[in-house]
Formats: sequence, C-alpha cells, structure tokens
Amino acid sequence: MTREAMIQVIDEIVARPGAAKALLDDYLARYAPGARDRGMVLEQILVSPPMWLDDQSNTLTIRWSLRDTAAWWRMRAVGGNDPDVAAWWAEVDARAVSRRRSFAAEPADIGALCDV
Amino acid sequence: MYKLTRLVTFADATHGDAVAEGLRALAVGHGAYRALVAPTLPGSHNGGDLIAHVQFDTEPARDAFEAATARLLAGPATASVESVAYIGAPDLDLMNGVYRVLLLSVDKGADPAAVARFEAETRMMPHYIAAIRNWQLSRTDAASGSRAWTHVWEQEYADAAGLLGPYMLHPYHWAHVDRWFDPECPDRIVDARLCHSFCTIDALA
Repeated sequence: MTREAMIQVIDEIVARPGAAKALLDDYLARYAPGARDRGMVLEQILVSPPMWLDDQSNTLTIRWSLRDTAAWWRMRAVGGNDPDVAAWWAEVDARAVSRRRSFAAEPADIGALCDV
Repeated sequence: MYKLTRLVTFADATHGDAVAEGLRALAVGHGAYRALVAPTLPGSHNGGDLIAHVQFDTEPARDAFEAATARLLAGPATASVESVAYIGAPDLDLMNGVYRVLLLSVDKGADPAAVARFEAETRMMPHYIAAIRNWQLSRTDAASGSRAWTHVWEQEYADAAGLLGPYMLHPYHWAHVDRWFDPECPDRIVDARLCHSFCTIDALA
C-alpha cells in the first residue's frame, strides 16, 4: 500500500551570514506560490540552529511533497521551462553559501517507485 | 566506428520520403557500415521529422557523407538540421526495436569534475533500468544546429514502451541523474534545450 504523497522534494539552503530570515521570507512569498501551482505541497520548514544568527549562517531545510512520479514530471516540466524560476534560483545562489535539492521517499515506498 | 546522426525537420513534409531515400542512397554510396534512416515517432521533443544515424569505418568516409548530406539537406524542403559527429562502437541493433537519441549541450564553463560525474552517472543508467538494451554516451567531435551539442546519449529498447515507461519513470533517472539537467537544482550543467528523438529500427541499410 502506498502513501498519498510518495515523493519528497528537499531544499537545503545555507544562507549567507545574517541573511537567513530574509531569504526564507522571500522563499515563502516569491517561490512557494508558484511551487504550489506546480503541484508541490509544503510539508515542513526547519531552521538550524533554531535561532536567527546575525553573524553566521543558518541552514534552511524546506520539504515539499508530490503524490507520485507523474506529479514529479509535471512539476519538472513547468518549473524547468520557466525563466522566472531559473532567475529565482540564481538569486538564491547569490544569497547563499551553498544549496542542495534532493528527492527522497520513505523506505516503504521504494518498491512501488522502482516498479516501473 | 565514425558516426553521424542528424535530426531533420522538414519545411514541407511531402518531401520526407524523397529526402529519406536520398540519405539512404548516399549512405550506401559512401560505404556506410550501417545506416538507420527513419521517421521520428510521436513523443519526440525537438527531435525533427527524420532521424539519420549512419556509421562508417573511417573518418574520411563519414566526412564525405556529411558533406554530401549537407548539400542534399540544403534544399527548401528542409527547415532545420541538428547534427552530431562522434566516435563509438558499432551499434548492436535490435530488429524491430526502438532507437532513441538525446542531444545535449553541457555549459562551456562547467567544472570538468562535475562533467565526469554526470557522464559516469549517465553511463550507469542501464545498470538500474533494464529496459535499456544497448547504449552509448559519446562526446561529440563536431556539432551544428540550435546548440553546440557536446554529448550524444543513445539507447536501444525492445519497444517504445521501454523508453516511455521504465526509462522515464525509474527514480535513478528523475531523482538522481536529472539534477544535471534541472534548472532548479544547483548541480545543473546541461542547457535546457534538448533534442529527444526516437524511431523504430526497421530501416537498416
């Protein structure tokens, strides 16, 4: 039996020192609405360490979910061809020390995802 | 083998059969080891109307064929041509299978170590995706068209379902290798413009 949302999209952003709060606010205001339009469901936001540092970097971990592989490709097809999305990430990269996006699933869902 | 693959888009599709016949004749005339000239199947993206995938034993033979086909394709029936020349092992063609080619362009300033990782991970796709029967990832010797294509990623499948199903849907593809292509991923090094084209393998010369 598979879950409602099998695929997790995880953005891990190490913000420039003192810049994490503003970056997260912009992420939610400027990136999140379009991501929701592309079918992504915002599941969780984590800030590490759990305080806003003004002279060091916070790490922002933002986790989204997608229902299945077809939903992933719909997201990819729209976001991957939108110049505004590319421009957004170029701006983020300028405001971050490093960034990573990964795709994951719970172990119980691996069998279903690989059964193609 | 010295290979040349061209994706031809016609301005006037009524000339397609004649151009295909012309390409096959040129391949035979230039001593091609093998030639696949076939219309693209639905689902191709920027893949043209016709695939010409021709292999030669020598570089001069390939270059002479390339020059001859350029003249053939210079006519008003042709709207555009994407072209790549490269070296590789002879194809192990599946009779009644499907040939698929992806033309891609890696950014000029990409870190060579990242390019090597991209290539290594791509070459592992057949290890995880059994529907890929034969395959080859090549760097181009020469390229022309809408991009300066740097790589050719070719595969053969028993049928189109292998390409459109397992290849597209396996997580090794979309959750791992695709990050080199995805503008939302910081690892991206491949230009968004791709030529994804496939045809049946039943027109071998």
